[in-house]
Amino acid sequence: MGYKQGMGSRIFDILNYAFMLALVVVMVYPLLNVISLSLSDPDYIALGEVSWWPKGFNTKGYEIILSKPQLYISYRNTLLYASVGTLLTLLLTSLTAYPLTVADFPLKKFITIFLAITMFFGGGMIPTYLLMKELHLLNTFWIMVIPGSVGAFNVFIYRSFFQNIPSELRESALMDGAGDITILFRIYLPLSKALLATFALFSIVAFWNEWFNALIYLKNESKYPLQMFLRSLIVDDGSASSQYRNLLVNNEVNPKNIVMAAIVIALAPILCIYPFVQKHFVKGAMVGSIKG
Amino acid sequence: MAQTAYSIGSEKEKGSLRRIVQKLLSQKYLYLLVLPGFLLVLVFNYFPMYGILVAFKKYSVAKGIWDSPWVGMKYFDMFLSNPMALRTVKNTVLLGLYGLLWGFPAPIILALLFNELRILWFKRFVQTVSYFPHFISTVIIVGMIKELTSLDGLVNQVTGLFGMDPVNFLSESQFFRTIFVSSGIWQGIGWGTILYLAALSGVDPTLYDVASIDGANRWHKMKNISLPSIMPTTIILFILAIGGILGNDFSKVLLLYNPGTYETADVIGTYVFREGLQGGRFEYAAAVGLMLSVVSFIFVAITNGIVKRFSDSSLW
Repeated sequence: MGYKQGMGSRIFDILNYAFMLALVVVMVYPLLNVISLSLSDPDYIALGEVSWWPKGFNTKGYEIILSKPQLYISYRNTLLYASVGTLLTLLLTSLTAYPLTVADFPLKKFITIFLAITMFFGGGMIPTYLLMKELHLLNTFWIMVIPGSVGAFNVFIYRSFFQNIPSELRESALMDGAGDITILFRIYLPLSKALLATFALFSIVAFWNEWFNALIYLKNESKYPLQMFLRSLIVDDGSASSQYRNLLVNNEVNPKNIVMAAIVIALAPILCIYPFVQKHFVKGAMVGSIKG
Repeated sequence: MAQTAYSIGSEKEKGSLRRIVQKLLSQKYLYLLVLPGFLLVLVFNYFPMYGILVAFKKYSVAKGIWDSPWVGMKYFDMFLSNPMALRTVKNTVLLGLYGLLWGFPAPIILALLFNELRILWFKRFVQTVSYFPHFISTVIIVGMIKELTSLDGLVNQVTGLFGMDPVNFLSESQFFRTIFVSSGIWQGIGWGTILYLAALSGVDPTLYDVASIDGANRWHKMKNISLPSIMPTTIILFILAIGGILGNDFSKVLLLYNPGTYETADVIGTYVFREGLQGGRFEYAAAVGLMLSVVSFIFVAITNGIVKRFSDSSLW
């Protein structure tokens, strides 16, 4: 880096940094816009004058959204799906991956192929739906957490992580009379905390953002996750605010106040933890690709 | 290994049989551990494959899939002779192609530009900001798109500066692909740089120094050192992306489209959803879905063949 820079190089640097600043603006604007709209005065929203920061100040949108019981129901449901679903997938994926690391396990090859096939073939939306119907899983809690808990791709990543643990550890534990279940829970999983933490994060975010399976498989609003509640506000806009017509007529609140407040409430947890766990996500993305 | 033991004389057979039993017993927990995963994959991944049969049947809930009468290729003919349905094929392919055309180079260029940043805290900051959209849910993304493209949204304000009349972009079919693809880039461009940056960080820094001594400028170094070093990653990701052309994120389409934009927005996934789950025409929708899977698989198989030629890493 000690070599003198030419004029072209300096111009490039200036343009590059300017481009990066523009990129940050483009990435941040939609978020700031959402926050601004949630807090702005309805008059300014109606005039289309709100963009970067709130104009006027108004918390009616938050008051209305926080008074909706469905917000709390769906928030609770999402927390339940995310915690139960994440524990299940970590546990079941570990259980499935561990035997595949034992060199003389006779089913190793069979299970590997059995799993790999599912990476290329599947039944598709309709046959899967019909199966769920026949299993009487439609509109149940478990349909949100069980069907996706063991995925071939994840099993293979866990397996290659486990394979880095020296097999001598397992052999000497076997000599000492430990069974494979003990070995998995006492030796392998404690040594795989980094892996489990990364996958837990990915799983939690996936559950947090999940809505499509809920749309297909759930009927009762009482089981809907948070994103389905948001969807009802965003996609069928207007209907959500019909109960507040008098407030709307009096121009005390703009429908956008309500919708944007809901988005802020749904996004806040992710936005808050993101800067601290971003490193793990990046690591996880690379772990996944090495195997791919 | 265990099977070869059988062929050795009957004297040894007893001993080896005992050894097999012993081994089975010592490994009994391994079978137990693998069992739940096996059963879940069997039920939730393999049973639906059997359910594909419904595409060739006149399905009746009372009879179940197996005992429902066969109808042959009826639903496939129905799809292939329906112009409204064929529109979805065109839309699926075009949306995938445009997504690839614009969405694939974007993270590569951004990664190369990131790589030229020397103020490390600034680099980290921009990266962190640019990764974030990847974690925003589709529902919220669509909420943002609706706001930005609304009559008083940012896009209309900008086009207004150039004297254009405000347009409700989401209700005009001619804008759908642009909105879908550009918002997809917004979501994925930052996150997409990660693999390229990993490849770039593996480059020996002395290469750049040596090139500088030889009089190479920034552009030469980017073209002759950085770009070649991400080439293997690029090739693999490109071929995988071609394989995924037909697999658009139709759940985003589902939130974003409306009957007014079906002309360009209705893709096979959304069509299957409407016909099958909303309309209850399970057999027909399953047939359409099956055709998509088969074509997608052929895409993946062809691209995998190409991967094999280019590099050691292939899908199978």
